[in-house]
Amino acid sequence: MHMADALVAPVVAGTMYVCSTAAAGYSVKKVRLENDSKKIPVMGVMGAFVFAAQMINFTIPGTGASGHLCGSMLLSALLGPFAGFLTMVGVLLIQCLLFADGGLLALGCNVWNMAFYGCFLGALLIWRPMMRGGISKGKILAGSVLGCVLTLQLGAFSVTLQTLASGITELPFSAFAAAMQPIHLAIGVVEGLITAAVLIFVYEARPELIWDAHAGSKEGRFSFKKTLAVLGVSAVLIGGGLSLFASGNPDGLEWSMEKIAGTAELESGGGIYEAAESIQNVTSLLPDYAFKDSDTSFGTVFSGIAGILIVVGLCVGICYLFKFFRKKKQYE
Amino acid sequence: MLVYVIYLNFLERKSNMSKINSAIYEIHHMDSLAARNQWVNRIHPLVKLIITVFYIAVVVSFSKYNIAGLAGMIIYPVVIFQLGDLSFKDSIRKLRIVLPLVCFLGIFNPFFDRQIVTNIGGLPITTGILSMLTLMTKGVFSVLASYLLIATTSIEKLCYAMRLLHIPAIIVTQVLLTYRYITVLLEEANRITQSYTLRAPNQKGVHFKVWGTLTGQLLLRSMDRAEKLYESMSLRGYAGEFYYGNKVPCKGKDYVYLFLWMGLLILLKYIPVITIAGNLFL
Amino acid sequence: MSHIRIEVDHVSFSYEKGNDIIKDISFSTDSHDSIGLIGANGVGKSTLLKMLVGLNLDFRGSIRVADIPVQKHTLPKIREKIGYVFQDSDSQLFMSTAYEDIAFAPRNYGLPETEVIRRVEKALDAVGIPHLKDKQIYKMSGGEKKLVSIATILSMTPDIILMDEPSIALDPKNRRNLIHILNQFDHLKVIASHDLDMILDTCNRTILLANGEIVKDGDTKAILSDQKLLEQHGLELPLCM
Repeated sequence: MHMADALVAPVVAGTMYVCSTAAAGYSVKKVRLENDSKKIPVMGVMGAFVFAAQMINFTIPGTGASGHLCGSMLLSALLGPFAGFLTMVGVLLIQCLLFADGGLLALGCNVWNMAFYGCFLGALLIWRPMMRGGISKGKILAGSVLGCVLTLQLGAFSVTLQTLASGITELPFSAFAAAMQPIHLAIGVVEGLITAAVLIFVYEARPELIWDAHAGSKEGRFSFKKTLAVLGVSAVLIGGGLSLFASGNPDGLEWSMEKIAGTAELESGGGIYEAAESIQNVTSLLPDYAFKDSDTSFGTVFSGIAGILIVVGLCVGICYLFKFFRKKKQYE
Repeated sequence: MLVYVIYLNFLERKSNMSKINSAIYEIHHMDSLAARNQWVNRIHPLVKLIITVFYIAVVVSFSKYNIAGLAGMIIYPVVIFQLGDLSFKDSIRKLRIVLPLVCFLGIFNPFFDRQIVTNIGGLPITTGILSMLTLMTKGVFSVLASYLLIATTSIEKLCYAMRLLHIPAIIVTQVLLTYRYITVLLEEANRITQSYTLRAPNQKGVHFKVWGTLTGQLLLRSMDRAEKLYESMSLRGYAGEFYYGNKVPCKGKDYVYLFLWMGLLILLKYIPVITIAGNLFL
Repeated sequence: MSHIRIEVDHVSFSYEKGNDIIKDISFSTDSHDSIGLIGANGVGKSTLLKMLVGLNLDFRGSIRVADIPVQKHTLPKIREKIGYVFQDSDSQLFMSTAYEDIAFAPRNYGLPETEVIRRVEKALDAVGIPHLKDKQIYKMSGGEKKLVSIATILSMTPDIILMDEPSIALDPKNRRNLIHILNQFDHLKVIASHDLDMILDTCNRTILLANGEIVKDGDTKAILSDQKLLEQHGLELPLCM
């Protein structure tokens, strides 16, 4: 599920980086507020644990296949959503650099698709409400499976959207989604079961290790509102894309053809061949098709949202830099 | 998609132990590459990070039919492989994880996008084939760029670069600690799974019955380790902040390196160098 | 330096109520003592060491380190004076390179970087491993890690050194090296160990623990040659005797 760099356009990558950075910044703030100096060594070792656990093949009974642990849901259940999120960021960064599992440019996307949904949505929207009134083995099972399934479904869907927004594949949306979602449903169920098994073991052996979702409930309510706000933003981003598709041609295949080749027909007549010939005359090597851009209208919407975010980000960044340099001057 | 999942499962036919062992090997290997004293290794880490990200961004920004322009981007990996005295074969291994998905997405292009562009020796080249090739090339180039970064820059130096970018200390510290303990925990996991495998010889992976206990044991041991780690840190004055001392100065050559590459990459984006070179010979 | 002593006065400790691990222990040290803490498995050696640095605070009685009582708010001051070497080097060493780990403590105490560099190099020299300065921890052997662990506390310039099973997992050559280094330290040392031969070689005074109590406290040679005493408490004569 890790996205490679080749699958994202710079605009999409940049947008997701901004989103992930926002989530990370918020998490850093929340973790600092907890003022628990023990958290950092625990996060570090847990990050390494997730790495090690991901190497284990969990054989699924009945099939020859094996399942794996992604970790975001597990981490959240142990460390809380914010520390869990930051831990996953570290894990994904190291995976990307050392094992080429996910690209450096696509890191923003991967953090969002895998860490954000698992830690924020999974922990805050599913785990916490479920554990109201106490934890039990059954609740752990339900919470883990539900959380993992939701996380992976959203994650897979986001991958689909991001890939399509980047315009790198001709595969129509419906076909892509139809392939991604069911597979990730299965993966999600398996991961949920593995997570549940581990959490139940921990719950029985050392229950104090499970994240106390209802400690400081006042603060909890506040962050729930903020979570809703974040959800709202992501809904806009996803929804914006969805609405485009909804408004387009119901047949995904025809839609994509229209947008790219300028015609709804696959095999066309002389017009195309003429164009090809004239181009062939220009150079003997592979022709340069600069005029055929990957600019789909989907990409335009993304550019719009991204543009606003980038400009705002730049302004904030410049102001920050300005303040930083002013401070430096003051101390010289 | 099913084929892809089956492919991934096939990759995992390696037993638990050899997978963990190869992960440990990979970490040690990349580390020793980065620790060498090649010229490229000594360039300031922030400069290398910026160039890598910029390179990937430029590669990815090529339009999907522009295989000619994209091909020009091969200059960067070629140069750095040379300057860094690195083996190309070594980097190819890295491709096996992400390339399949890239290929999967690309392989459909020729079916949907069938405008014929030209004929090479009787074989029709469609725009679909072009976009597929472009996609795969982008995939290869970006993985190579990441590989070159980590093969010439250690994680510690990269974390230093991240600190310079004002990435919060919490995240950077967490990355460093995770990296420090990966090999320790991988070996711990190795021991646990070895002990399991030796007593369950017909299993390739971990059986359903012990999903929880085996992983749970590893988790508890990790937690204990984290506790001891915290104690150890507290005993040496830790109170929540990490201080990093070593500053790596940015020398003149680092700036020159940075601007040269940025300039060249921008040039490559707009001038199809390969095409021009090819035309010169006709 | 003359007032650096440890005073343990009628101290008891338990993890769970009613099950005392340490039962009414009292002893005090002189500033240049080298004390070996011996006893069978589970008698409370590690627990006692941890209490001296405030890692187990729920004890009854009084512990004073350099005349400061061991309490929650005095811990930072006390920990500046004591260097504690863990049994497991992977718990002691958590930075990426030896240099970073040895520099950790001085940096936390707010020393300027020039002083940090000086201390690191001095610590590396004291333990005889200047060549390991930039080596990565996870690549090191057990012996190298143990030496770096000792260097990490030396850079704190402690007055007291506590060690928990330092010679475990060391091969004979590294072990001999460790003994040699320990004998060069002038600090007040308390070393918990099963390695009675090492205790014989490095400690002038020995405290024998059994069932959470001090059974014997005195001259090392006298205690470690008393076969009956040792066997009564789950130990044996050192191999060299």
